[in-house]
Amino acid sequence: MIATGKGTSGKPRLQISAGTIHKMSALLTLLILILIFSFGNKAFLSVNNGLTVLLQTSVIGLMGIGMTLVIITGGIDLSVGSVLALSGTTTGLLVKAGVPVVPAMLCGVLVGAACGLFNGFVITKMRITPFVATLGMMLIARGTALQLTGAAPISRLGEAFGILGNGSFFRVVEMQANGFPKVVFPGIPYPVVLLAIVAVAAAYLLRRRAIGRHIYAVGSNEEAAHLAGVNVDRTKMVAYTMSGALAGLGGNVLMSRLVTAQPNEGVMYELDAIASAVIGGASLMGGVGTISGTMIGAFIIGVLRNGLNMAGVSAFIQQIVIGFVVILAVYVDQMRNRR
Amino acid sequence: MLDQTLSDGPLVEMINIEKHFGGVCAVDDVSVDLYPGEVVGVLGHNGAGKSCLMRILSGAMMPNAGKIRVRGQEADIHSPSDARDYGIETIYQTLALADHLDAPANLFLGRELKTAFGNLDDKKMLSEAQEVLARLNPNFKNLGDPVSSLSGGQRQAIAIARALYFDARVLIMDEPTAALGPSETAMVADLTLKLRDEGIGIFLVSHDMNDVFDLCDRIMVMSRGVNVGMHPIRDVTKDDVLSLIIKGALPDDWEPRQR
Repeated sequence: MIATGKGTSGKPRLQISAGTIHKMSALLTLLILILIFSFGNKAFLSVNNGLTVLLQTSVIGLMGIGMTLVIITGGIDLSVGSVLALSGTTTGLLVKAGVPVVPAMLCGVLVGAACGLFNGFVITKMRITPFVATLGMMLIARGTALQLTGAAPISRLGEAFGILGNGSFFRVVEMQANGFPKVVFPGIPYPVVLLAIVAVAAAYLLRRRAIGRHIYAVGSNEEAAHLAGVNVDRTKMVAYTMSGALAGLGGNVLMSRLVTAQPNEGVMYELDAIASAVIGGASLMGGVGTISGTMIGAFIIGVLRNGLNMAGVSAFIQQIVIGFVVILAVYVDQMRNRR
Repeated sequence: MLDQTLSDGPLVEMINIEKHFGGVCAVDDVSVDLYPGEVVGVLGHNGAGKSCLMRILSGAMMPNAGKIRVRGQEADIHSPSDARDYGIETIYQTLALADHLDAPANLFLGRELKTAFGNLDDKKMLSEAQEVLARLNPNFKNLGDPVSSLSGGQRQAIAIARALYFDARVLIMDEPTAALGPSETAMVADLTLKLRDEGIGIFLVSHDMNDVFDLCDRIMVMSRGVNVGMHPIRDVTKDDVLSLIIKGALPDDWEPRQR
């Protein structure tokens, strides 16, 4: 939140805002989870596994950032999972058609942004509620992705397509005497670096730029923002467009990691994105939410998935656990607001 | 002071303003003017169209017909920011604050101060807000808190500070004291007169007859969307005004109070 408890009267004040408390409790939850899983399985707390969690979380994290922007305006974006698939398959089709990888990926992200812009248009100009508008886009984008590909995955996209998802910085490999390579340090995966850059950029946008201030204001009191001269429609369109573009970016990262463009990838991802924003303290009523909170939320989900996997818990049980975590997080949020 | 400023020509003229909602005529062919350094009270029942008229001037609503002149020039007001460009500031009944933001963020909402790189200049906004709010309420210290945690008087101070800081020439006050306690009401009254003496023209929408007679130079009464009377305050009594509000006309045997 913007109004975190900074002392304004000169002397530092000890008062900590409710948002900070929520974020601290989320962070504590994350640390406790890591602690529990570390005791359960020695392999959990290793550099390798840490990087795996980071990699697995990056797509959800990217979508969660876009979702946070939308949720702060008081809206919701249910289309991100489908937009992710449409963006990824667009890139895949373009690469297959002979377009070089970088421009193809840019096009893919642009398609995502266009879907987001369309959402924003429907919501602001046609005055359709965000839930319904993005539900429509969820079907439109998924249908388009399936239609374009004939519902078949596009494979053999070449090595260059896989770099974004599989490459890494500072990877250290040394050749052993027996002729096999040994990975000394697996490197920091590109998607993780990308997530860090996007997160910092989004946090900067929300805290230091006028558009960020307007995003909070629109979610806090749309009428007041309008009367104060804020262009409410434009603000919402920016939020939805960024959500679409980040879903597109996430789609490209994911498809690149698989080196296959899958039109039916990303089903129910929107719920993970919403869950990470909400666990991170964003309020579906609007006006509240931070990027750092969402990142913590995304990692809580990522660590839970990874830890439960390593403990041999079935995917079904994992869903149950994450469901309870979401309910618990919102409950904690409501308790803090009721005070 | 009223007579001397009359010669300068009106600050604002609203001419033959009309506004319909479906078949309902909320504002029907209403004309009103406002001179520098005067307070014009806008009175009427709930739903008489006075808030609607004021929202048209503040750019929150578009009229179906009629025109607005500001200092003799025809003004094109399509949005609240257009109105602000003409120096028209509004203090809304609801105060129109974003609850999750702090006082400086609300004060500068839509007109944020920025650094050379286009970043928000929170430091400058905080110090400027401190300065202008201190003029209104010296006890206003908790500027970093979200405004949802502030008292009614403090919230009102932010709304008024917004008008003060940006050098309003025309101020619309829509029931500014509706949510305030007695001492805060007195503060707003003092401030209204101070602003008037600085040459600002003020439209005061109010239900409080005492406020109206203490502060206003002229009154305008609306009934069912029609302007039923515009009188200098010295010509009318409270009973006359009540008659205008309730009956839509002056008492049958009415004649100006002092003449």
